[in-house]
Amino acid sequence: MTTVLFSVAGAVAVAAAVLVVVSRRIVHAALWLVVALGAVAGCFGALHAEFVALVQILVYVGAIVVLVLFALMLTKAPTNPLPELTTGRSPFAAVVAAVLALILGAGVVLAFGNEKIEPVTGGSATAIGTQVFKNWVLPFEVLSVLLLAALIGAIALSQRKKED
Amino acid sequence: MIATVWRVTGVAFSLLILLFAALLYGAAPDQVAFLDSPVGDLTIGFAVRTDDLTVLMLAVVGVIATCVQVYSLGYLHQRPASYHALVTLFTAAMVTVVVSDSLFFLLIGWEVMGACSYLLIGHYWERRDARSGAVKAFLMTRFADVGFLFGIFVLGVGAGTFRISELDPARISAGVLTTGTLLLLVGVVGKSAQVPLQTWLPDAMPGPSPVSALIHAATMVAAGVFLIARLYDVFAASETTLTVLAIVACVTMLVAALCASAAVEVKRVLAWSTVSQLAIMFSALSLGTAEGRHAALFHLVTHAAFKGLLFLCAGVLLHQVGSAALVVLRRYTRRGKLRKALQVTFLTMTVGLASLAGVPGFAGFFSKDAVIEAAWEQAHDGSVVGWVVLLSVCLTAALTAFYCVRLWLWTFFRTPALAGGIGAFEDGDAAADLDEPDTSKLRDAPWVMLAPLVLLAVASIVLGYVDGVHLNWVIGLVSTALVLLGALPAYSLWRRGADPRPVVFEREFGVDPAYHGLVVVPVRWLAKLTVAGDRDVIGAYVRAAGRTGTLASQGFRRLQTGNVHTYLTAAVIGVVALAVLAGVIGS
Amino acid sequence: MPLILPLLLAVVLFCIGVYGVLARRNVITMLMSFELMLNAVNLNLVAFDAWRVDEATGQTLAIFVITLAAAEIGLGLAIVLLLFRGHGHVDADAARDLVERP
Repeated sequence: MTTVLFSVAGAVAVAAAVLVVVSRRIVHAALWLVVALGAVAGCFGALHAEFVALVQILVYVGAIVVLVLFALMLTKAPTNPLPELTTGRSPFAAVVAAVLALILGAGVVLAFGNEKIEPVTGGSATAIGTQVFKNWVLPFEVLSVLLLAALIGAIALSQRKKED
Repeated sequence: MIATVWRVTGVAFSLLILLFAALLYGAAPDQVAFLDSPVGDLTIGFAVRTDDLTVLMLAVVGVIATCVQVYSLGYLHQRPASYHALVTLFTAAMVTVVVSDSLFFLLIGWEVMGACSYLLIGHYWERRDARSGAVKAFLMTRFADVGFLFGIFVLGVGAGTFRISELDPARISAGVLTTGTLLLLVGVVGKSAQVPLQTWLPDAMPGPSPVSALIHAATMVAAGVFLIARLYDVFAASETTLTVLAIVACVTMLVAALCASAAVEVKRVLAWSTVSQLAIMFSALSLGTAEGRHAALFHLVTHAAFKGLLFLCAGVLLHQVGSAALVVLRRYTRRGKLRKALQVTFLTMTVGLASLAGVPGFAGFFSKDAVIEAAWEQAHDGSVVGWVVLLSVCLTAALTAFYCVRLWLWTFFRTPALAGGIGAFEDGDAAADLDEPDTSKLRDAPWVMLAPLVLLAVASIVLGYVDGVHLNWVIGLVSTALVLLGALPAYSLWRRGADPRPVVFEREFGVDPAYHGLVVVPVRWLAKLTVAGDRDVIGAYVRAAGRTGTLASQGFRRLQTGNVHTYLTAAVIGVVALAVLAGVIGS
Repeated sequence: MPLILPLLLAVVLFCIGVYGVLARRNVITMLMSFELMLNAVNLNLVAFDAWRVDEATGQTLAIFVITLAAAEIGLGLAIVLLLFRGHGHVDADAARDLVERP
């Protein structure tokens, strides 16, 4: 059952991802990103990581993609279709990506070809909470500081110089 | 102040040599060795000896050096400290040569003399001819000293010792003896300016006149004569060397006398005359007999006296008039001014020239007759060398008289020819003779310079009688006839106001241009080749190393395209490649 | 469910992201492709965490990755805005100011 769900979500994710990198309208690419991220959240759910799936939707789809759309607006992204891909380099990039896929895939299959995931009941939020606040407290705090730094940095970078 | 110290030191040192000679006079011949160091089978060390030859040479060196040092007190005012110091060093080196009993010790003195000669000829180094003359003298004598050094090696190894007093010609094989003495002869030919290395001596005349008197008349150039006299047993045992020496000497004496007849400057005439007289000494030595040796040494002593005197007189002319060229001096003699203003100089120079020419009664007459007599003895016994030497010396005696009278007349007397013989020295530029120099301020040199002149003039007369007079009347008459034979043409040419100088003699037989073409041009060409090789071959590699770096960095620069996509692609490809590599290595 | 299924999905998503980063001209689309890559990493982490049942380390790390992605895209878009102000466009291929002329 979960396998089927996972496969469906995975297929949707792949299709949407391809459309993200291929689409000729930028805003459409951003919207296809939403679909892709949502599908990945579904995959998370099928892997018994409900909390992560929820956080994915909240943060990624809710905040990050919105930020991307705002940036597109601020940089006057054109709404007409554009041949955006870098000509001459895209076949080369495709080859590189394919080779990488081959290597990684081969490695993965060779290593974990015969493993199986057992289905698990019960929520994961408790487990994650315990982990974060027992074993990963320091990285948690550091991440907070990092977020603060990113916030300040973003503000500092985007300030216009005041002409005196 | 330093100049005064050196002046005093110079005079004191030369007087000390005289004292030394006086103390050694009459002492038994003796040798002392010190600082011996064994090298294989041989011993190289220092050694000194004394015998009558040593005392004689020390006396000569002492007297001439004293005269020169005293004379220089009045003559030289430019850089006196270095001058007096170098003359003192030179004198010390000559003493080393004279007292040495070890061949290497002698070589040390020999070489130091050459170095001092170079430094002293170049004393007026602001003048170009002084610099080039000094280098030429040094190079030619040094070149000859290579032969000298190898001669020492050959003789020393062949005889098993480097001590002069232990060299026994009977114990050395004939081949080694001839080779060694011939090589030593090369050194002597260079140092005493014989053919073919004779051209440096006339070009050494830009040096101060007292230096010319000391080094290039009395002592250094006579060191060659001294060497052969010292090693006479060894030289006399080799027939080949004596024959070669005779040929060289006879050729030189005639060539030099002819060149002296065509020279137009007082010092140059005297320089060629020195070469010629040295050749006479060598020809006497080449006879191989004890009388020959005695005659040669006698002539050396008298020559030191009168040639030293003549050079010092030339120095007075330079000092008082400003030039020793006949073309300049003639303007002063126009009213007999030179003769009357510089009376002492005139008298002493007359004495010197008379002694050089061999006028009867003067010392040169006696010494030259001794040489002719020794040659006659050999010729009488049927020796070809003796005949050749005899004829050459007679011919040279006539030529010597010719150029001496020529010099004397043209310097001090106005020619009775029409218009003072315009054109004899001025190369056809008649107008060049007409400006009258200011002769009112002309006066004789200070007494400091005149006293040595008088002393040497006295010596030029008296030295002939010191050895006791034994004269062969026939030879005396013959030599007097030769003097007249040479003097009369000079007188008649002067009377007519003509001075014919054949081009060959004026160009000095073209030896200098020949050396230029044979030696200087190839060396310069080789130097240019070396510079070009260094610049274009080795330098090219060096520059290429730099250029390689530049090219490599230019190639690397092309990676910086500024395009983020290029960088990222390169990074990803790099990671992929590393992963593949890791997998390949790992498996 | 076989483990390789999520793993292969992660590989595919990652490589699509690589292609997008290398081939897309607009900087913001490059950033979006980069998000795809991060998601692939997250999927990997969660899959392994589901395979090893004892701890929730993988999911924790996935949360951390999401946080980092948020911080990074905030700063990245600020830089994109600066690029836009300086050049008037956000074309990564055309912004070659750091080129070294030989």
